[in-house]
Amino acid sequence: MAATKTTVDITAAMVTEAVPLADWLLVAPVLLTMAGGAISIIFRKKSATQPWIAITTIALVILSNIGLLNHVLTNGVVTMVMGSWLPPFGIAFTADPLGALLALTASVATMCVAVFAMNSIAENERRYGFYPFLLMLLCGVTGSFLTGDIFNLYVWFEVLLISSFGMQILGNEKVQIDGAVKYAVLNLIATTLFLAATGLLYGLVGTLNMADIAGKLKAFDSSGPMLGLATLYFLAFAMKAAAFPVNFWLPASYHTPRLVVAAIFAGLLTKVGVYALLRVMLLLMPEGRDWLASLIGIVAIATMLTGSLGALAQTDIRRLMAYLVIAGIGAMMAGIAVGNEVAVSGAIFYSMHSVLIMTALYLLVAFMFQMSGTFSLREIGGLYIRTPLGAGIGLILLLAVAGLPPFSGFWAKLLLVAGALEAGRGWVAAGILVSGLFTTIAVGRLWIFAFWRGGNEHTVDGIQALPIAGSSDASEISWSIWLPLVVLTALIFIIGILPETMMSITENGAKTLIDPTAYIGSVFGGIR
Amino acid sequence: MPLFGVEATFWALLGPFVAAALSPFLAKTLKHNAAWLLAVIPALAFLQFLSFVPGIAEGQTFKASLEWVPTFNVNFSIYLDGLSVLFALLISGIGTLITLYAGGYLKGHENLGQFLSYLFLFMGAMLGVVVADNVITLFIYWELTSITSFLLIGFDHLRRASRRSAVQALVVTGGGGLALMAGLILAGYQGGSFELSELLNSGDVLRESPYYTAIFILVVLGAFTKSAQFPFHFWLPNAMEAPTPVSAYLHSATMVKAGVYLLMRMHPVLGDTELWMTVLPIFGGITLLVGTILGIRQTDLKLVLAYTTVASLGLLVMLTGTSDPVAIQGAVIYLFAHSLFKGSLFMVVGTVDHESGTRDLNRVGGLFSLMPITGTAAVLSALSMAGLPPLVGFVAKEVLYDGTWHAVNGGLWTGFAVLGNAMMFALAATVAIKPFFGAKVKTPKVAHEGTVLLVAGSITLAVLGLAAGAFIASVGHQLLSPMTSAILGTPFDEELHLFPTYLSPALYLSLATVALGIIIFMYMDKLRVIVADALRTIGWGPDKGFDQVLEVIIRFATTLTQTVQTGSMVTYMRATFTVIALVLFVPMILTGNWPKLQGIGSFYAYEWFIAAIAVIGVYAVLTARYRVTAIVLLGIQGFAVALIYLLFGAPDLAFTQFMVETLSVVILALVMTRLNLKPTDARSSRGKAFDISLSVLCGAGISMLLMSIIQLPFDPTLSEFFTQYSRTIAHGRNIVNVILVDFRGFDTIGEISVVMVTGLAVLALIRVRPKSNGNSNSEKNR
Amino acid sequence: METLFSVLVGILFAGSIYLLLSRKLVRILLGIAILGNAVNLLIFTAGRLTRDVPPIIPLQSYLPVEATANPLPQALVLTAIVISFSFLAFFLVLGYRAYQELGTDDLLDMRVAEPKEHSEPPLGY
Repeated sequence: MAATKTTVDITAAMVTEAVPLADWLLVAPVLLTMAGGAISIIFRKKSATQPWIAITTIALVILSNIGLLNHVLTNGVVTMVMGSWLPPFGIAFTADPLGALLALTASVATMCVAVFAMNSIAENERRYGFYPFLLMLLCGVTGSFLTGDIFNLYVWFEVLLISSFGMQILGNEKVQIDGAVKYAVLNLIATTLFLAATGLLYGLVGTLNMADIAGKLKAFDSSGPMLGLATLYFLAFAMKAAAFPVNFWLPASYHTPRLVVAAIFAGLLTKVGVYALLRVMLLLMPEGRDWLASLIGIVAIATMLTGSLGALAQTDIRRLMAYLVIAGIGAMMAGIAVGNEVAVSGAIFYSMHSVLIMTALYLLVAFMFQMSGTFSLREIGGLYIRTPLGAGIGLILLLAVAGLPPFSGFWAKLLLVAGALEAGRGWVAAGILVSGLFTTIAVGRLWIFAFWRGGNEHTVDGIQALPIAGSSDASEISWSIWLPLVVLTALIFIIGILPETMMSITENGAKTLIDPTAYIGSVFGGIR
Repeated sequence: MPLFGVEATFWALLGPFVAAALSPFLAKTLKHNAAWLLAVIPALAFLQFLSFVPGIAEGQTFKASLEWVPTFNVNFSIYLDGLSVLFALLISGIGTLITLYAGGYLKGHENLGQFLSYLFLFMGAMLGVVVADNVITLFIYWELTSITSFLLIGFDHLRRASRRSAVQALVVTGGGGLALMAGLILAGYQGGSFELSELLNSGDVLRESPYYTAIFILVVLGAFTKSAQFPFHFWLPNAMEAPTPVSAYLHSATMVKAGVYLLMRMHPVLGDTELWMTVLPIFGGITLLVGTILGIRQTDLKLVLAYTTVASLGLLVMLTGTSDPVAIQGAVIYLFAHSLFKGSLFMVVGTVDHESGTRDLNRVGGLFSLMPITGTAAVLSALSMAGLPPLVGFVAKEVLYDGTWHAVNGGLWTGFAVLGNAMMFALAATVAIKPFFGAKVKTPKVAHEGTVLLVAGSITLAVLGLAAGAFIASVGHQLLSPMTSAILGTPFDEELHLFPTYLSPALYLSLATVALGIIIFMYMDKLRVIVADALRTIGWGPDKGFDQVLEVIIRFATTLTQTVQTGSMVTYMRATFTVIALVLFVPMILTGNWPKLQGIGSFYAYEWFIAAIAVIGVYAVLTARYRVTAIVLLGIQGFAVALIYLLFGAPDLAFTQFMVETLSVVILALVMTRLNLKPTDARSSRGKAFDISLSVLCGAGISMLLMSIIQLPFDPTLSEFFTQYSRTIAHGRNIVNVILVDFRGFDTIGEISVVMVTGLAVLALIRVRPKSNGNSNSEKNR
Repeated sequence: METLFSVLVGILFAGSIYLLLSRKLVRILLGIAILGNAVNLLIFTAGRLTRDVPPIIPLQSYLPVEATANPLPQALVLTAIVISFSFLAFFLVLGYRAYQELGTDDLLDMRVAEPKEHSEPPLGY
């Protein structure tokens, strides 16, 4: 049985032609952030240069992601295999419109946070890793969006998870530690479920490449243990995405870290869960999704309603935002529950929107705190007169999160509702609309209290109260705070006014998910 | 885009948004005189829409479209027919006058620029609603009117009442908007197009669709909330918190008519059904009566007008709901007349308020000699409102009586109309007579006539009402009948006369209305007391109800959130694992796909032994009474697992596991023994029983899932590949290592990153010390 | 043959979950440690078991001489072990710091982030 080296046919094992230069864009974001993270750990004592290392790295990542998205849109799904091993044997990175779009959006949000943090993260916390954590978080997130291998996806999940742990505890305050215990333990359970499901899936189909899994799972009819696995995956990712009733960790922790940290958490982390749901439920296990559709729908509605009602129940603005994150997750899951092209396109659109809006909203909270010195809906007030620009930004962001036109959230919601109605799932549409109403009430209250009201809740009519001692004046707000806020608001507005580009991408993404031919073809086509 | 023709309408639509952007700057430099300059923009839009009138009178319609979101068939398209053009003329025309009026009314106000900006935003949105061809575009504009109305109502934002009214309007109209969105999308899907111009030609498709009732309810919800129909009427009077230009413009002439517009727009495809002809007239009729009765109760002139606006909207909905051509023609004339007289009267009241310092019925009187122009406007408009000749309001009343009289269930609707109109008559008389005639009353400010900016609008509209009456035949042919045709979906052109040409029932009904109206007017003060007493006895209304509902929602939300998010980690864990247990078992139960029972195969004794050690190790940890013991015992199961790896061909794994397990135990012991921890379990026995069952269930579930998978044949393709090429290509003899560093090297890169970041995170945990201990709120630099 | 180990995996999971459900931080940490072992053994078992023969190619050969144990699950488990050990290390320090900062190891008393007294949100406007 001893084979000699000379008889080996290399073409049966490896891709022999050189990787096209453009395909390197697939791994560039991961390698760049990893390198950036390593460099900034080396320079961790030079806290003045830290932000610039991060900003340069993220700028390169953004450029690379723009290139990648463009590449995917012009040439279709792109695959690159690591070490040139033929798929499904090596690890493949595969970018479809969904992955490329989310990777780009995530890098933009991270950039905003990196700039915002220049003035809001203390020297000491910078030294102990804010920027390295941020870069490694982005590394894990983009790795998750672009990998085409399910076990590799798990590895990226862990990369982003441990980075998020590091960010969560920066500051080491009591609340942070307490929040971290709950956040970390519950998330560990979720990733462990993911890992267990992946081990089982490997035992079932004997492969780890997603395109290969999608092909091989077709052979398993619904009587097999496939449905049990699909349900297990659904639970694991629903937990990461913070779906009801396995989202305790989110309201327990999101108000505790530094607000820039919460901003990037709210923007990126749950979306990775939603991404994984889209990928696994639609591309890998469409039969499982069909079987689970009603359950997903119920979970989605429960998530939306508990989220929007939870937002109504809060006094602390940070916690209110945490519940808005949850409400949004429900909406995206509703798209998965409906599962037709329009609704999935809506879910992708919503994910993109959610990355931007949730990041922006937490930055807004940080801004409001600096202006007012409080997080309490009872204490806050007087900001309309003190910062009209801030009030305008606040209004746009809050209307956008409620899904009102003409901002980005509206189009996402329109697609979701239309998709649900098209599929005859009126109850899902009703859930989305009712939750939208509750959200509108919650954000409307927040805005009138914080901006319109003259001061705290005891302020007499017609009086503009004096600001709380220690709060800043609008003129004292640094450019590094204004810039990210303005950029994110502008993006949300522009996408709202000119949604066509975005919608054609999300539609394209939905098509690729629902009909996996292009995805599978990209992995195996041309090569095998 | 061309400057003339249909396409030029896009400029007219863009204009107000440009004006909105310019307003703050112009108001800064030109102060209130900026209004003169800015009013040019709506005036030009008015002219643009006017240019369509001749064509439309001949039965033409105009369309233009710009591509917007082709992916979802959303176009920036416009559709101009009799209905949209008349509305657009009212919006831009009255908008021009209101711009001037706002300049006068808020003269010297520091936020005039902001105010004008909001006003123009609203104007742009409202024009969009009525000319949009695409239902999605229509909806976007619709919600924009809600948002701008929110901003305008809350303009005086330091006052709690303003904020409340603003939120109320946003919630009610925004909530209705959500229903509308679903309704329009459904209608679009059922009718096969999102373009109204095509949808309206779909004949009976919608009426025969199984979704007709759903579409109807959703669209009607949108329309009723926007047009303040009972029981959603309460937000409109509250919206009077806004500065008067807003009340005159949004809350009488334009925005609140958007609901009526929508019903009229959808009438050709949704109307003329039993549902339509029952629901609309009943709610419209009730709104008419509720509005007028509540109007009698008021002493604030602005609120009187607000409630009559509610009533008028009810009347319009009722008439639209009859689906009778003549009644609808009546609705059209009334809508036109109402926009003129009510816009005018609001501006009159605003001027009186502005100049005399009050708008309370009991504190004004005899102002006519001091404010002759405003007084004239008031009288003319009140005559139109009362439905007296020679004003256009009279024609409206004649035609609408004629319509209701012959409509299905006509008797009932006519009764509503006569009763409502009589009360409206009395209220019109009150508004015109009380402030301007009778004995002079000392007002807070010494009253005198308002500036040009303040009076221009009201007198213009009042005179227009007179002129429209005089030239009713031509106005009817050019403007009103085309609108009626558009609502009906079939051509309609009956000549209108100012004075009736024969003795119709309508004339008798008119006489009865006037007579009844006079009686009501005479007993107005007594009636006011009666209504007030009655309301006090009832003690509850939808307005109070709104607060209660909101309170209930918030309280419910609070309770719900506290029940779910208890704050106790133990509950979180139990809930999570309960869900996990369900997730493991329910699919097996539902699919009946349990693992097959089979022998466990043959094992060597030492294999049994090791498995037993692992189990004992776990058990020992669970029951250990001391912390140190538990930590040390932890090693047992770990080493047992390592042995299993060793026995089943995984020496690398075994060694790693040995090392990791040793390290874990050592570190655990080092860290934990330094702390003064209590070792005991501290669970109640019931808690223990629950936890034991839960963990056993979860464990069993995982076991069974694993079993059902390993009972299926395995596909070893991947490993065969690795085995085949491990040495030949990758030059490594240890296949596992080759996989780690080559075949799946990217996993390892990620793994190394994890280790690196963990190190940093641990460092951060140990080294960073909190600046202030605990209370993060007090800390500034976040 | 794998059936026995499926049962063992289940027992490890059950034990670890019982510890995780505890109120005491130390016991939760122990649970996390066992959880890692449980899931690793699960992956190992799911890849099917083969006695004795490690996936190593003899010095003089280019292919293994006899059927070996499945190498891929071993590689996966190796990755997973390292990751779960990293996490355990982080959790240990976190638990240590939690006890230092919060002064308790009882989860029921860890109520800093979500205090027991929940204030009702303002109801007015």
